[in-house]
Amino acid sequence: MNNGTSKNPILLLLIVVILCAYSSIEFLGMRKPDLLIPSKSLTAIKKLSNYFKGMKNTSADSDIYFFDSGKPGGTVLLLGGTHPNEPAGFITAVVLLEQLKCEEGRVIIIPQACLSGFTCTDPLEGYPSSFTVKGKYGDRKFRFGSRVANPLDQWPDPLVYQHYPSGQKLSNFESRNLNRCYPGNPEGSLMQQTAYAILQLIRSENVDVAFDLHEAAPEIPIINAIVAHEKARDVAGMAVLNLEFEDLKYALEISPVRFRGLSHREWGDSTTVFPFLMETSNPIQGRLRGVTNEKLVLYGTDQNYKKALESGKLRIEYLVSGEPLKLRVGRHLQAFLAVLSAFNELNPDKHITVSKVPGYHDLMINGVGFYLN
Amino acid sequence: MLFWIYYIIAAYILFLLIKELFNEKDFKVQIAIAISLIPFILRIFLIK
Repeated sequence: MNNGTSKNPILLLLIVVILCAYSSIEFLGMRKPDLLIPSKSLTAIKKLSNYFKGMKNTSADSDIYFFDSGKPGGTVLLLGGTHPNEPAGFITAVVLLEQLKCEEGRVIIIPQACLSGFTCTDPLEGYPSSFTVKGKYGDRKFRFGSRVANPLDQWPDPLVYQHYPSGQKLSNFESRNLNRCYPGNPEGSLMQQTAYAILQLIRSENVDVAFDLHEAAPEIPIINAIVAHEKARDVAGMAVLNLEFEDLKYALEISPVRFRGLSHREWGDSTTVFPFLMETSNPIQGRLRGVTNEKLVLYGTDQNYKKALESGKLRIEYLVSGEPLKLRVGRHLQAFLAVLSAFNELNPDKHITVSKVPGYHDLMINGVGFYLN
Repeated sequence: MLFWIYYIIAAYILFLLIKELFNEKDFKVQIAIAISLIPFILRIFLIK
C-alpha cells in the first residue's frame, strides 16, 4: 500500500502527542507525595537531611515523625517503605503514624524510608502505580512503588554492585536497593547516603529497638518471619512465643553474619540498637501470579496460586482465602507489639509503652481503612 | 552532564524519526514510525 499523503504524518503526530500526554499524567502523578495524617500525639517532624546534610533537596529526603511521651524510657524506630513495592510495610507505618499514642519513651517512624522508590514502578512487572483503601473518612490513595530507588535519581547502575565497606558483590540493580546499602557511605550513591542518614539517626537519637518492615513472595522461605540480629535473639524468641498465643505462627531467623548490607545485620553491628526485620506473604510479588492489579494488592487472592494449591503441587504455605492487606498489616502490628512487650520485660529501665495501636484481630474485624484518619 | 548527553541523543533521534515520518509514503511504515516516537517523546519531556 502506497497511499501516504502529507496529512497522514501530521495526524499520526497528533495521535502520538495525545498518547504521550495521557501517559505523562500517570507517570508524573507518581511524584505527588502521599497524604499522611499523623495522630494528635505527634511531637515533631524532621527529615533525613537533619541527620546528614548531603540529603537536602534530594528526592530521598524522607520525613521522620517523632512521638515523644515526655516520660523517661527507651526509643523505638520503625521503618516502612524500604521496598515501596511491599505495601504492608508502608501501610503498617501509616496506621501507627495515624493512631499511635506514646505513653512512655519515644517512637520514631519513617513511613517511606526509600522515598525515591515511590516515584516509579519496577519495569516489566505490570504493577499498578497506586492502590486505594476505603477509609472511615473517605478513600485514601497510596503509591505502589518500586523495590529500588528510581533510576532517574541514581544512575547509571554499576556493572557489578560492590557493597561498601565489605566489598561483597551483588547484581547491579542492588546498588539502588536501600536494604543492601547499610551501613551507608556519606560519599557514596543516593541510597548509600540514605542508609548513612538512617544510621546517623539511630546513633544520635540513641535508638534502642528498630524495625524494618517488609513483604516477600509466597514462595520465599522467610515469609511470616522475624529476622533478628543475634544480640536481639532473646527478645525475638519471647516475641515469637507471645505471638503463638495469638495464633500467629512466626519463624525466628537469625541475621546471617556474612550477608552484608542488610538492615538487621548492619544496624546491629554498627550501633547498640536491637534490630528486627519482619516479613509477610504478598502474592503480588510472587512469580506464579496472574492478573497484577490493585485488587491483588488489597485482597491478595490469585487464581494461579489457588490452582497450584488445588493441584497439590504447591509446596509452600498459601491461604485459599488469600493474603489480604488487612491480614498482612495486622500481622506486622501484632509482631511490633509483641517485640516491644518482650523488650520491655527484658529491659525494665527502658520501657516503651504505646497505646491506641490496633492488633491483628482488630485489623481482621475492622479492616485497614478503619484505622486511617 | 551525563543526563544532558542522553537528552541530546534522544532529541536527535526524535528529529531523525520525524523527518523519516514525513519522507515515508507507506502508511503502515508511517504508523510504525509514529509508535516508535512515543518512547522518545516521553524520554525527552519526562527526563529529570
